[in-house]
Amino acid sequence: MKEKTFTKTRNVILTGVGGQGNVMASRTLAHMLVDAGYVVTIGETFGMSQRGGSVMSHLRISHDSVKSPQIPRGGADVIVGLEPLEALRVLTVYGNPQVCVLYNSRPVYPIGVITGELSYPSGKTIRDAFERLSAAFWEIDATSAGLKLGNPVLSNIVMIGALAKTGLLPFDRRRFEKEIKKTLSVDKYNVNMKAFDAGAAMIK
Amino acid sequence: MIKKSGSQTELKKNVLEQSLCTGCGACVGLCPYQVIYDDRTVQLFNCDLPDGKCYAFCPRTPADYDHIRKSLFNIDDLTPEIGAVKGYYFSRAFDPRQRVNVQHGGTVTVLLELAMAEGMIDSAIVSSRNNEFEQHGLLVTDQNQLRGYSKSWFTVSPTVSTFNRIPDDRKKRTGVVATPCQATALAKMKTAEIPGYNRSDLPGLVIGLFCGWTLSMGKFSNLLGRYGVSLADLTGMDIPAGKNILEIFTGSGLISVPMAEVDHCVRTACRYCMDSTAEFADLSVGAARFGADCEEMRGWNQIIVRSDRGKQLLELAIAKRALQIREAPPSALQELKNAAAGKKKKALKNIVEKSHSTKNLLYLKSDDPIVRKYLRVDRKRKRKS
Amino acid sequence: MSKLLSPDRSTVLFLGNEAIARGALEAGIQVATGYPGTPSSEVIESLADVARERNLYVEWSVNEKVALEVAAAASFAGLRSMAVMKQNGVNVASDFLLHLTASGTRGGIVLVSCEDPGALSSVNEGESRYFASMLEMPLLEPADFQEAKDITKWAFELSETIGNVVMLRSVTRMSHASGNVTCGKLPTKRRKAGFEYDGPVMDSKTGPMISTPVVAKHVLRQQKLKDVIVEEVMPFLEENVKVLASGIAGRIGIKTFFGKYDGTLPFAGELNPDVVADALGRILKVKRKFLPADYLKDIQKTAAMIPAREQTFCAGCPHRASFWNIHNAIALDGRKGFVCGDIGCYSMAALSPATGYHTMPTLHSMGSGTGLASGFAKLAQFGLDKPILTVCGDSTFYHAVIPALINAQHNRADITFIVLDNAGTAMTGFQPHPGLSVSALKDVVPAVDIAAICKAIGAKVAVSDPFDLAATGRILTSFLADKGSLKVLILRQACALSPEKKGKKTFDVRVDESLCLGDACGCNRLCTRIFRCPALTWDRNKKKAVVDEVICAGCGVCASICPQQAIVKTEVSGPG
Repeated sequence: MKEKTFTKTRNVILTGVGGQGNVMASRTLAHMLVDAGYVVTIGETFGMSQRGGSVMSHLRISHDSVKSPQIPRGGADVIVGLEPLEALRVLTVYGNPQVCVLYNSRPVYPIGVITGELSYPSGKTIRDAFERLSAAFWEIDATSAGLKLGNPVLSNIVMIGALAKTGLLPFDRRRFEKEIKKTLSVDKYNVNMKAFDAGAAMIK
Repeated sequence: MIKKSGSQTELKKNVLEQSLCTGCGACVGLCPYQVIYDDRTVQLFNCDLPDGKCYAFCPRTPADYDHIRKSLFNIDDLTPEIGAVKGYYFSRAFDPRQRVNVQHGGTVTVLLELAMAEGMIDSAIVSSRNNEFEQHGLLVTDQNQLRGYSKSWFTVSPTVSTFNRIPDDRKKRTGVVATPCQATALAKMKTAEIPGYNRSDLPGLVIGLFCGWTLSMGKFSNLLGRYGVSLADLTGMDIPAGKNILEIFTGSGLISVPMAEVDHCVRTACRYCMDSTAEFADLSVGAARFGADCEEMRGWNQIIVRSDRGKQLLELAIAKRALQIREAPPSALQELKNAAAGKKKKALKNIVEKSHSTKNLLYLKSDDPIVRKYLRVDRKRKRKS
Repeated sequence: MSKLLSPDRSTVLFLGNEAIARGALEAGIQVATGYPGTPSSEVIESLADVARERNLYVEWSVNEKVALEVAAAASFAGLRSMAVMKQNGVNVASDFLLHLTASGTRGGIVLVSCEDPGALSSVNEGESRYFASMLEMPLLEPADFQEAKDITKWAFELSETIGNVVMLRSVTRMSHASGNVTCGKLPTKRRKAGFEYDGPVMDSKTGPMISTPVVAKHVLRQQKLKDVIVEEVMPFLEENVKVLASGIAGRIGIKTFFGKYDGTLPFAGELNPDVVADALGRILKVKRKFLPADYLKDIQKTAAMIPAREQTFCAGCPHRASFWNIHNAIALDGRKGFVCGDIGCYSMAALSPATGYHTMPTLHSMGSGTGLASGFAKLAQFGLDKPILTVCGDSTFYHAVIPALINAQHNRADITFIVLDNAGTAMTGFQPHPGLSVSALKDVVPAVDIAAICKAIGAKVAVSDPFDLAATGRILTSFLADKGSLKVLILRQACALSPEKKGKKTFDVRVDESLCLGDACGCNRLCTRIFRCPALTWDRNKKKAVVDEVICAGCGVCASICPQQAIVKTEVSGPG
């Protein structure tokens, strides 16, 4: 894949459930884009977010100016969901007919669903909603890919690999490789690259 | 029509919060939601099922007790005062050594040992206590170990919960020594109709104990404190006939407590109990109260044979010379019946006082023939209201 | 007879502080607390003199924050109470005060601040009135001695009307001067203490005493303030800009201001881009471009089918096991005891009550749980006879709990204090604290032992592993039954996300479907319906519990709660 350039501000929301590596994924993404010369702001919710609640990071990628760390309602260009329900939840607040969505198909059930007080929509119901409410969407089983590589938390890197392949954001494999080389040990680097490639391979 | 079963919430509302809980343990050991702690039945968490075994088995939830009576016993044997009677005797252990350190004649221990030796049952649940005097049911699988548990402490142990916890396939091979409330719970188990539940032939044997009331451990402990004794000091307790005292045996001697003082230590639930002879047992055993020489009778039990199984066991005990039997004179049976009828009347009176109505009899049905026989309707009061 | 108890309609010469104390007595105060400081001390001293006669509980607390906490506990239980301090004491109490004004109060509660303009007996000229404006709390300032008595009495009524704490400010020339005061009636009745917390979260009389949902409670509080007080609480910036503008009006002319006063912006809640854009739209009379109507309708319909995701303890979190133990001990005890909460991950037990098995109805600032518990425990004399428990984390223990714990011991507060020691400042990301032998600079430093501190205070101390449900349960039930002393239970188990544990499972956990009873009588899904671990889920088709291996942290606690032994744990063999 070839790294593209963008001139318009891109509003990206990464969402998931506490513990899925949402913050790590959004920071990795932001670092790559800063390296690529963009002005990036991240608005994060964390702290309590580790405790199984909904987590969301707002990334605003501009080629020239600093934006408010919060994206207004209906203002997302790209939604990356580490969990299907959370992707849909974000879509209902920040979505618009032009939004593109990439999401991991593996559900993490809310406690209310586990106790039986609430019900979790079926995979088909969720797909149908994205079909109606987004310009384009990709559903991949990132958790299984992570499990195959030995750790389900790698699903966040699988998602970054897939995101690169979609071409929705201006970064590529080389940029990712450069980024993780800065921080990770050799064996972690290897497994992260494998996760990235596994994700990229899932986008046709 | 009375509902066959109900929920844990109804159990709380209709039994626990009404001070009707006898502490028998029937609702405990079935699930993780209920436990017995410090002589109380505690609901740890809410179970939202509409129908539960806890409610169905509880001896203080409404049920068709007349139907249970008639389905478990021969109708011709039924008496209004003391339930089914196939036979009535005085008994004691044949072996004098077995009459030492037991409550009266040692009849219950002899019967259990025999039932185990003869393979009628392979284990038995008896009441035990720990150092803090907390009572619990103990599953005994070795007949030689039964003798340590043959004393009465006039308290209820949650024996039925121990029965609930043993594996289903063992239940019909297990005998239970039960107070009247516990025997009622076991009878309700045999007859309960809950979807997916069928255990009609359990337990294997129920030996009932006569019981007039039991003590609330907390209140009794306070009373003992006033006599300078703690629960741990007790070595035995008895109520000798005709003296109106509770005898308390301790390592340092005998203390006689007037019954008037003991009275307020009685568990509230016992005031609403109609059954003093464990009417739902196979055999019921109590202290012999008959005759002028009460010291002599102290070494004897009276025994009511109720079911075929009970009859079979008693005949075996006589044939094997395990029990010594004395024919009881008819006046003894009459005396027992009168006492039992008195308890029934008093319980119904207390129930009406509690519910303020002769129509609402809490766990009893007003059209139950036994209830109808012993319920005294105060005409004047009725007219007023 | 004490001068303070002079009969109705008699005129007495009172110190300003005595006038305040008399006003409080006329209002029917039952609990008074304080920390000594000139010029405030005579209020508590004079009340302490008549405490036995008037059946009051009066204490010198370990600090002003704890004083306010103890008084707040009385208020939560429906009694009238007062906390008295000098100006800089309000700073100490302010952390709790912020949270107290947010959660609201029940019985009338008055914070008395006696201040010292001119620093006659202080080393500062501190001003605490700004707290009243900052925390949106009514401030009353008596102008003479009669008013000091009358306004104090009224302050309690005001507090009950608005359901919040009221501040009464005095100064040295009032507190330490004397004047004529005509007394009113002393009440003959006293209230019975009772603390309700099972009601709806927004019900200020029966709900839990916590500040959440923050915005909704804030709006409710402002509404109550507006109902009684004409003057509103001031938006700081808007006011100051207006002051500036009026000063230079000659040069810039008369300007129109848009802000909170004219309703352009809301008084409560976050000012996010949408709120600001909508406000600008209204000012400039332009409509915001928004989504097509049918799309908007569809997302609204879709949003309705998305189940909420409640926050909860993580899979493998020791707090879940701790609260399971606490819940069961309280249930077994049977006196409807409750836990005063504190700040940390375990706050979740108050924020999402089912997560803490409905045991924790209060939540304020760091250390306030123990201060509140210390106060609740003193209410037995007024009829609140139930075991009082409180929890705090290891880091919180060092931060603000120790004074409150000393307060509890010294004032004979019978509480069960539980340290949820998960070996680090877990919530914020495992920063070191004084219990660990490493500093922020990664130096080796002395670790301060919690158990040793508690023993030195004089408490009964036990240590247990919360994952050992049987052992922990035994200690807790014996602590609740052990009346009349301060008990401390330290529950030690590292956080599931801690560096030493993260990603490592102690046990492989799975459900043996053949044993699982599911929703039948005999279990009814205790594990998935009640225990609420995010890794233990429910297969709707099979009607069996199932462990989600991706989420399970392998703590194995669920295996000990399953009545059927259907949850099977096998130890994961170590490396090598």
